[in-house]
Amino acid sequence: MLNVTGDLPGDSWGIFTFLCAALCNLPALPALNCSEELGAGQSIQQTYDLTRYLEHQLRTLAGTYLNYLGPPFNEPDFNPPRLARAERVPSATVDLDLWRGLTDNARLAANYRAYSRLLCYLRVLDGQVGTAELRHRLAHFCASLQGLVLSIGGVMSSLGYPLPAGPAGPPAGPPGAPPAPNDFLKKMDDFWLLKELQTWLWRSAKDFNRLKKKVPPAVVTLRLEARGF
Amino acid sequence: MWKNSSLRCLLALAILCLRSSVHSQEIGSLGHPQNLKCVTHNLHKMICTWDVSPRRKHGQTDFCYAANDLPTPVCFKTKEKRVEIPVPHSSSTVTITTNSISGTALATKEFKIHKKDILFIPVAPRVLSLTPDFSTSTLNLKWSDNGSVFPDGLDAVWQIQILRKETVEKVTQVTYHSKLTHEDIILSWNWTSDIPLECASHYVKIRCYINVTQFVGLKEWSDWSPVEVILGKDTDPSESGVFPLDTVVAVGSDVTFCCIHEEGQNITNMSYGSKPYPMIQLSSRSHAIRVLNASASDSSGTNVVCRLNNGMMEGTVLFVGYAPDIPQNLSCETPNFQIIKCSWKPGRPSGLYGKRRTMYSLFERMSGKNVSCEVNEMNRQHVCGFPVLPDQKTYDFILGVSNPIGQAESSLLVDITQRVHPKTPEKLTVSENNSTSIHLHWFINGSFAEIRLLCQIEITSGHSEQKLHNVSMPGGKSSAYTAHLNALHPYTKYQFRVRCSAADHFWRWSDWSRVEEYTTSEAPPARGPDIWRERSSSGESLKIFWKPLPLSEANGRITSHEVSCYLLETPLEHKVVTEPTNSTEIKLGKNDCVISVVAKNQAGSSPPSRITSMELPSDNIITGQAMAMGNGINVSWDSYPNMTCGYVVKWCRSSGSEPCSVDWQKFPSNTTNAVIKSALFKPGVRYNFSVYGCKSTGYQLLKNITGYMKELPPKSAPNFTVEETSSDSILVRWEDIPIEECRGFLKGYLLSFAKGEKDALKPRLSESGNPELKVNNITNLTQKSMKILDLQGKTSYQLELQAYTAGGLSPPNSLYVVTKEDSVGLIIAILIPVAVVVLLGVVASIFCYRKREWIKETFYPEIPNPENSKALQFQRNICEGNKTLKTLEMNPCTPNSVEVVETQSAAPKIEDTEMMSPAADTTVPEDGSDSEMENHVVVSYCPPIIEEEISNPPTDEPGGSSQVVYIDIQSMYQPQIKSEEEPEIDVVTTAGYKPQMQLSVNAMNTESRSPVEEELDKTAGYRPQANTNAWNMDTPDSPGSVESNNENASFGSPCSINSRQFLLPPRDDEDSPKPINIGWSFTHFFQNKPND
Repeated sequence: MLNVTGDLPGDSWGIFTFLCAALCNLPALPALNCSEELGAGQSIQQTYDLTRYLEHQLRTLAGTYLNYLGPPFNEPDFNPPRLARAERVPSATVDLDLWRGLTDNARLAANYRAYSRLLCYLRVLDGQVGTAELRHRLAHFCASLQGLVLSIGGVMSSLGYPLPAGPAGPPAGPPGAPPAPNDFLKKMDDFWLLKELQTWLWRSAKDFNRLKKKVPPAVVTLRLEARGF
Repeated sequence: MWKNSSLRCLLALAILCLRSSVHSQEIGSLGHPQNLKCVTHNLHKMICTWDVSPRRKHGQTDFCYAANDLPTPVCFKTKEKRVEIPVPHSSSTVTITTNSISGTALATKEFKIHKKDILFIPVAPRVLSLTPDFSTSTLNLKWSDNGSVFPDGLDAVWQIQILRKETVEKVTQVTYHSKLTHEDIILSWNWTSDIPLECASHYVKIRCYINVTQFVGLKEWSDWSPVEVILGKDTDPSESGVFPLDTVVAVGSDVTFCCIHEEGQNITNMSYGSKPYPMIQLSSRSHAIRVLNASASDSSGTNVVCRLNNGMMEGTVLFVGYAPDIPQNLSCETPNFQIIKCSWKPGRPSGLYGKRRTMYSLFERMSGKNVSCEVNEMNRQHVCGFPVLPDQKTYDFILGVSNPIGQAESSLLVDITQRVHPKTPEKLTVSENNSTSIHLHWFINGSFAEIRLLCQIEITSGHSEQKLHNVSMPGGKSSAYTAHLNALHPYTKYQFRVRCSAADHFWRWSDWSRVEEYTTSEAPPARGPDIWRERSSSGESLKIFWKPLPLSEANGRITSHEVSCYLLETPLEHKVVTEPTNSTEIKLGKNDCVISVVAKNQAGSSPPSRITSMELPSDNIITGQAMAMGNGINVSWDSYPNMTCGYVVKWCRSSGSEPCSVDWQKFPSNTTNAVIKSALFKPGVRYNFSVYGCKSTGYQLLKNITGYMKELPPKSAPNFTVEETSSDSILVRWEDIPIEECRGFLKGYLLSFAKGEKDALKPRLSESGNPELKVNNITNLTQKSMKILDLQGKTSYQLELQAYTAGGLSPPNSLYVVTKEDSVGLIIAILIPVAVVVLLGVVASIFCYRKREWIKETFYPEIPNPENSKALQFQRNICEGNKTLKTLEMNPCTPNSVEVVETQSAAPKIEDTEMMSPAADTTVPEDGSDSEMENHVVVSYCPPIIEEEISNPPTDEPGGSSQVVYIDIQSMYQPQIKSEEEPEIDVVTTAGYKPQMQLSVNAMNTESRSPVEEELDKTAGYRPQANTNAWNMDTPDSPGSVESNNENASFGSPCSINSRQFLLPPRDDEDSPKPINIGWSFTHFFQNKPND
């Protein structure tokens, strides 16, 4: 954490928000009943802040990581075709109208599933990187992303939605897909992973912003009371 | 059977006759065997073939061969034109009889086969396997040499051809040599392709040549083996990608990459890193790039990307690094006889990471045990552990280093009993024996049972220097060790730390243990205190002083002092004085006693210190002066042989009026001087020392000494007054300076005096630098007054008095005194001059009267014609142009003329006051109508050297402006055109030497001027132009340049004072960089060069 403050001056608000969100949600998640302690609106706000912070963090991390991958991955106009095997990374390129057409619950569940999966891939990435400094930064980002997964879980439970089936905690490795057969394809996977993360975070921020407006704290409280009856 | 055969014969004969009638020319060669060739593949059997002409059907052939080594010819029938017979030793005779289908012999031919005619061709080799290694682009070819059929020791030569691509281009052909061993040996050969094997199909074929030296016949290469092929990926329609995949090469290698794509696509470009490379087409689906001298790649490898025209992209990663360096400084040691730690420096980084990183393994040759090492790449020093094996002392280690590019190793033979580097001692504790000895305990993890340990204990205490104490002890198995330390000091805080090593074969010290602090317990003080006594001034009581014992002798915290007074073993008084008091007083009356002082701490009492109160009488006590020495005072005294128990120097630590705090120092009998040092001594303070001699009966005062640690200048000057003043003397008297203000031994006084009025702002006399300052140095300190003589009357004098010591002069005290008036002197001073003047007047009158005739003759002759006056003649000659007074000429003077040409314009110009005649004056028109007339005015002057040609183009200038050109020095800086509004000034300024002329005359009053005045004007014209400001006029050039400065010097001064020559060189000359220009300076200024 200290390292990040050193690297990214002016990020203290983000770190603070992340810490708050992570700390509030860590004890809440296993019980799935944190709504009583923390209003959904507040929870959504914190998740939104954390998403924005992760977006910012990813920008610097991606720059470093793409430089580590070397040209052409770090070229600004590099836009490779998405190989079929890259589809194993959850894609955020769902049609926008279709996405908007989904219910809040479905969207939150999709977010939750996507980040859980992306986190698994990110963890594999972390173990393979050659330089210690980059490994450290990746580990830090993983921790932040873990916080986001938990935070989304918190929002869902506060709104009374069930958590999607599947591993809530960190799974051991990327599910199913075989590892890349060669280094170049692995680099390509890494590239797509970062790109997808970026798109997901961008879209999640929009989602949470919309949800924030839709669910003011008072309403949530009322709803929760109603649920209690 | 026979019938049949005869029938056949008949038929054949008939046919033969028929044929012979038709082809009469072929009859002679009918059925003849010919072109018999014999070839052997294995030197045992040979295959002989022949032709039969013409080629027509015939029956069986009888084949017989006979050789020397065969008893009878061997015959057999064959249907073919090929037989296999043994290879003869030298030659054999072969008879071939061609039979007709019916069985009749058509023709018989005999061949003689010599061994040299037999051809030896080995059987074409058979490829057993061709294996590709795609990662290294290597082909492995295996074949059998078929050596079992040949004698032992034959040389075999193999020719291998590699062909590539769909077009089967020959890539390389290599020759491989082997020796046949009469056995079938499988030969193997590797070939590394310069392009990856995936990029194109590779074909391999092989043939051989066996050099059978004993075979005299012809020897030839075998046929090529059937072609073996390794298909490239471009032949597989489903394959695409960039090859080779994820290879590792050494820095500086040349690498070829190929991109295989689907049929119908095109490659846009191929790049290595960020650089595109030119492509080489290998096939319709395969293109290659060649990267030469690859440099080290980044940690994630260098990407090779192939972009296709459909937007797709293929790629691979190349890892370029270095083979591992040989590990340096391999060193093994054991910290505990359980594990051996080997460390080394890895040398140059390989540049490969992750699974391609450098791997280390430690192999022990004697035990054959191998350990792989997990090292941290980040550490500069790599460490690997190897378990200590039971009953093995010597270890022969090989550190193997490998990465995908290469491997290296480093070996070390080590006896671990000689390479012991124990771990840091822990749990250091102290247990006390007594106040001067302790036990130190510590623990070392490790089993050192086989060796002895040498441990070093560092002992640090506040009041002694650091000590190292070595202890040798037998080693134990993870045990505690104890060392005994004695000769410690009581009541002292000690710091201990320990480190250990092997005693017998020192290798390395362990790290120091943490520091353990311990304070030893108290012991009775080692000696009694240093004491002194003094009787009070009344003599009724005795004051006893003692000095606190130093820490090293107090052996604890002194709590009190016991003071007793004994008179012949009878205690008179006993006192206990608690700390921190260090003196006490005993009422003794007139008695004397022996005083005993004992210091006490918690552990006990010190031995008593004794001193007698008896003071022996002394006479003739002299007072001496002590010398300052460094930061002490050197006190010396005479040697007194009867002083048996030494001397005591006593002084007061305090100074001046403060109550005396007694200090003393004792010296042995043989001492006669001592430097008394004390931190309390201050510079400029007088200290009084008393030297006492010690006898068995008591102390005797020997000498008093005063001294300074450092002498300073007196703090103030002595007060002084003027006692008496006369017209030429002053009597001054001064007082002594108080001792406290002397701050040193007074050496004398300085009395300075000089004339001076009382003025507060005046500096001190000594600093004023007054030349009349007189200084009197008074070194006689008893002198308290002085008379200053030889002063002037009624004059103010400033007097200053200063005292001085070895430290310097005091500040001065000043006085102003006015001496009294001297009236007699004044009268004399007036009278004498008056008398002298009167006397001279009288003498002159007498002389004039007596010589009045001579005076008249000389000064007033009869006819007083002024022309005869020589004095006046002299003056006139000057005016007349040096005609008569040749001696006044500086140079031969040739009268010269200057023609002044004037173009008449609106305003008239009067050119020269000297030459202006009244007639000329009248010609000056008011309106300037006579402008066309050229007015020549000749200015006559006398140039000393230069003769100027007069060239005057007056008509050059248009009318309306008059120009006067002076062919003279001034013209160089004369304004070219003068405006008409300033005629008066123009008249002056145009008169040759204008600038000066302005100062003198009004030029318009020419008529009224006398020739003398004109002459004056003329001389005014020659006024030196020594206006240095004008010389240094506007020069925008760089001021730093010496040359430009020289130019400047001449620029503002167009002509010389004396010579009137042009001082400014012509412009052309300036441009040309002649050295003479640089030389234009003031020296030139005063030179009259004839050639100018």
